Amino acid sequence: MTADLEYTPFELMAVAGARELKDGEVVAVGLGLPVVASFLAKCTHAPNITIMFELGVVDPEPIHQGVGLADPRVWYRAKILSSFVDMLGTVLHRGRVDVGFLGGLETDAYGNLNTTLIGDPKGKFRHFVGSGGANDIASCAQRTIIIIRHEARKLNEAVSFVTSPGYLRGGSEREAAGLRGGPSRVITDKAILGFDPENKRMRLISIHPGTTLEDVLANLSFQPIVPDDLPTTEPPTAEQVRLIRHEIDPEGMYAG
Amino acid sequence: MTKLSTLAEAVASISDGAHVALSGFAITRCTMAFAAEVIRQGIKGLTVSQCVGAMDADLLAGGGAVERIIYGGGSLDRFGRLNCVNRGIEGRTLIAEEYSSLSMAFRYMAGALGLPFIPIRSLRGSDILKRLQEIAPSEIAYVDDPFTGDDWLVLKPLVPDVAVVQVQAADEEGNAWILGPRWDNEEQVKASSQAIVITERLVSVETIRREPERTTIPGFRVSHVVHLPFAAHPTSVYQAYDYDADHIRRYVAASKTPEGFQEYLDKYVYGVQDHWAYLDLVGGTKYLTGLAADPVLGY
Repeated sequence: MTADLEYTPFELMAVAGARELKDGEVVAVGLGLPVVASFLAKCTHAPNITIMFELGVVDPEPIHQGVGLADPRVWYRAKILSSFVDMLGTVLHRGRVDVGFLGGLETDAYGNLNTTLIGDPKGKFRHFVGSGGANDIASCAQRTIIIIRHEARKLNEAVSFVTSPGYLRGGSEREAAGLRGGPSRVITDKAILGFDPENKRMRLISIHPGTTLEDVLANLSFQPIVPDDLPTTEPPTAEQVRLIRHEIDPEGMYAG
Repeated sequence: MTKLSTLAEAVASISDGAHVALSGFAITRCTMAFAAEVIRQGIKGLTVSQCVGAMDADLLAGGGAVERIIYGGGSLDRFGRLNCVNRGIEGRTLIAEEYSSLSMAFRYMAGALGLPFIPIRSLRGSDILKRLQEIAPSEIAYVDDPFTGDDWLVLKPLVPDVAVVQVQAADEEGNAWILGPRWDNEEQVKASSQAIVITERLVSVETIRREPERTTIPGFRVSHVVHLPFAAHPTSVYQAYDYDADHIRRYVAASKTPEGFQEYLDKYVYGVQDHWAYLDLVGGTKYLTGLAADPVLGY
């Protein structure tokens, strides 16, 4: 009886992320939810996925929680340990990364991401992480998936600093800037969004079970395109929840 | 030829205002003992570069040794932000040329290959590029591909004066092995005019000759070899020792304010004569042995 199945928003988002991945694809991930989504895809419909971290790590199988990509815990049992030029150069820049997962301080109506600063870049601001490999992934991957908490302060009409370009101000601006790919999906804890094929503005695709359209829109600082037919996000199956809890993340090291 | 040096001798080869590339990445293989010695020797006005900002750059910035940082952004992973670097950027006391990981790696690679410039697909359309065009216009240009006519963003090579690289094993000539991911370190060393190798383990030339495939840092490019255990403490060295989470937390808490960081410097940098005294201060042999890596796990 899946109707009674209990799952967390994190599990629903990880399942939604996994569903976006196809077998045989190369996936560039950071820590956290993207790792769970990729491992879930790998042990269900996409066994031949390749998972890579930007600093030179391919297909690791960590057994202890790491504090970040620089933590050797995260490299455990990797098939390859190499370098930036190898991963971000010969794989990503070469055009062989199919999907990149990205997150950030905020995103906007066109999927631009900010991980650099909050405030006025010319005046008073607070500086955060910056790009790392995020700009490279946003610029060079065939497509990207944005994972972000559904809060009004994180989903704005325009970001205060474009660290990683989405569709810039929409339409053909991304192509005109000389960039390929672009964000295909935005997965939040309330909804899944995509982008209008013409004007590239964010568009609702589905809203999660137990969430209302009013709630989704009230926690967005811009007006997305709302289609007439708005389905409910497919919930996780009992098997997917079991895999996440017992096989992929039994210690809750990614969910935390 | 032996290039064995003390840390103090190696650091004394660095001039005020030099461009120094550092091997750290967040909380791993950071050149911490080197940074502390630079601060003790009072070297100023450095340009510091690395692909991803790390704890070594943050200590140098907080110690007043850095005028400019060229990097791809960075943090101390989940331990926190690079408080000293960020404070410098926010207060405009530190010039920051911010790129992305790959654009930094490509700039080092162009330097290592002796190329005049390197085309890149990254940065286009971003505010990173807009900002660089304002503050570092000499580093960026556009060219037409002579074969296709396509328009390309190109970056100037990075040629640091000195690369400082923390490794797991090296011989006295500077032939060195980096275990685990190397991130930008090989390109950094090969782009630089001079290189300082800081090694956890000093091995014989014969040991290097038996597994030469592992040599990623060529001895003939190295000027100084410093054999110094726990030189990356409190950051980790894969297959040697884990990071010291308690000390990193202490650092992050102290670095939240200039006053707190001055106390940290007074105790852990100025308050010790050298790295050996530092190791005693942070816990001594018994404590540090507890950080030793498990050979299967590597941490």
